[in-house]
Amino acid sequence: MTDERARRRGGASLAPTKPESPRTAPSPAERTSVARPGEKRPFLLDFFPLETARDTRLSKFYDRLREGRLSTTRCPKDGVLLWPPRTACPKCHSEDLEWVDLPERGRVYAFSAVLAGAPLGMENEVPFPVGLVDLDGVALRLFGRIEGAPWTSLRVGQAVRVEAYDLNDGRVFYRFRVAP
Amino acid sequence: MSGRSVAIVGGASTKFGVRPSTWSELAQEAGAALFRAVPELRAEDVDSLFVGAAEPERFAFQSHVAPLAAEQMGLRPTRILQRTELACASGQSAIRSAYAAIAAGLSDLAVAVGVEKMNLPSVAEANSAMGCVMDRPWDGPHGATAPPFFAMVAQRHMLEYGTTEEQLAAVSEKNHRFANSNPNAQFFDKTFPRDKLLRLPMVAPPLRLGDCSSMTDGAAAVVLTSEEYAHRYTDRPAWVRGTGQYSDFHNLANAGSLTDWVGLRHAGRRALDQAGISVRDLDLAELHDCFTISEIIEYEALGLCAPGEGGAFAADGRGAVGGDLVVNPRGGLLGCGHPLGATGISQALEVFQQFSNAVPAARQAPDPEWALVHNLSGSANVHSVMVYQRGGAA
Repeated sequence: MTDERARRRGGASLAPTKPESPRTAPSPAERTSVARPGEKRPFLLDFFPLETARDTRLSKFYDRLREGRLSTTRCPKDGVLLWPPRTACPKCHSEDLEWVDLPERGRVYAFSAVLAGAPLGMENEVPFPVGLVDLDGVALRLFGRIEGAPWTSLRVGQAVRVEAYDLNDGRVFYRFRVAP
Repeated sequence: MSGRSVAIVGGASTKFGVRPSTWSELAQEAGAALFRAVPELRAEDVDSLFVGAAEPERFAFQSHVAPLAAEQMGLRPTRILQRTELACASGQSAIRSAYAAIAAGLSDLAVAVGVEKMNLPSVAEANSAMGCVMDRPWDGPHGATAPPFFAMVAQRHMLEYGTTEEQLAAVSEKNHRFANSNPNAQFFDKTFPRDKLLRLPMVAPPLRLGDCSSMTDGAAAVVLTSEEYAHRYTDRPAWVRGTGQYSDFHNLANAGSLTDWVGLRHAGRRALDQAGISVRDLDLAELHDCFTISEIIEYEALGLCAPGEGGAFAADGRGAVGGDLVVNPRGGLLGCGHPLGATGISQALEVFQQFSNAVPAARQAPDPEWALVHNLSGSANVHSVMVYQRGGAA
């Protein structure tokens, strides 16, 4: 993807990870869409989840993402970060989990790119790089899109940052972008 | 092993490929082929039917496929009728369930059938079906399907061990060559020499088209029964001697090492221990080569070679006829295609036919006694293994 196209598709970097720093949502102008107008798909062909409290007990994840914060749940008993966010601890089965912000920077552990065989609605985004990213300072390795560079120039160990982006239908999601 | 001994005593497969046939037609075709291949089989004796089908809802807009398959095949199960779903391992799940039912005395004669119809008018819709095998609301929106995941596995294996594209191609070349002796294989009439494989387009770097199994329509069925009845159907039963399964994650974030398939080490160990043999005793193996890198890591995780040596194992022909053991003589998923629910059944059928020396010489393992069948599913987050021993006089 060219830098110009990447810029047009936009996305806002997450706010600094310092918990005391104020967080601001990306302005609408900074947000662009991956779900283009007129392409709303039936629920059973839409990979993006329903995000509101009416549909999921994890709506806080998306509320916080809308504020520019990537977060997940942690079990207060053993302190282990759980991914994806959960409603019950898989070890002690406590349903009293807490939300914590995650670091916004990480390094690529492995990557590839989808050059063919993209699911419905993603065909026009081919080729797109994806990778597993070790977040700085925590034991989490998240999978996601990597924006901001063609796959041919990516390297294992590449520094990336997390960014939230808007689907333009009230929903929001996250991805990675090559760090400057 | 507790319970009765259980064996595969016959089976049949449809042609795999892009078929001008519906899901139901494939099931009918497998049923007709089964009754032709096992003339002693009487429909009224089949008390149970297990139907391996991964995604009929997505691929064929059809649920409740167990009674549908029974009707298509002309069966009226009286004891156990169920569908088994474990994505790419749905077929082996059907066999495992039939085995468990017969061993426990809940069934005397069962059919395990696998059916998948994957080629749709919309390729993108079919790819969406493959995408929802992953953790859909978390990994799916990023575009996660099998090729980019296994591409990352290959990248790490190359980085950690120096595995090469040529070694990946050696796996594909071997399995496609085997497929040239299997008329039911999707790529029966296509040749893929190594230099051609290395020029095919990338699908998900470093994986090229020839490193990836394809979207395939097909069905296969096997008959299982207990030690009391096996002799009615064959003098060369394939006895189930061991099984093992292991799963330790689903979301890609929880995969741990991409190159050390812990689940396969455990599942393989359990199945071999239950059979009372070592991996060195195996004469043939049907390994889940959904991608070339998979077969390479499976050599390592099963202990056929040391970690990191799977690429050399492939390039040195140690999985070919004349090597340490014959791996994927059927043609593998790479050569046969991969109709998700049918693959595991087709692999077991190959073992049964190999034990009867009933396959073309080009892929016949020499006088095989022990065989292992492996399926992974999803992002290699489940591993399913079964070990078979040839029955009858040597």
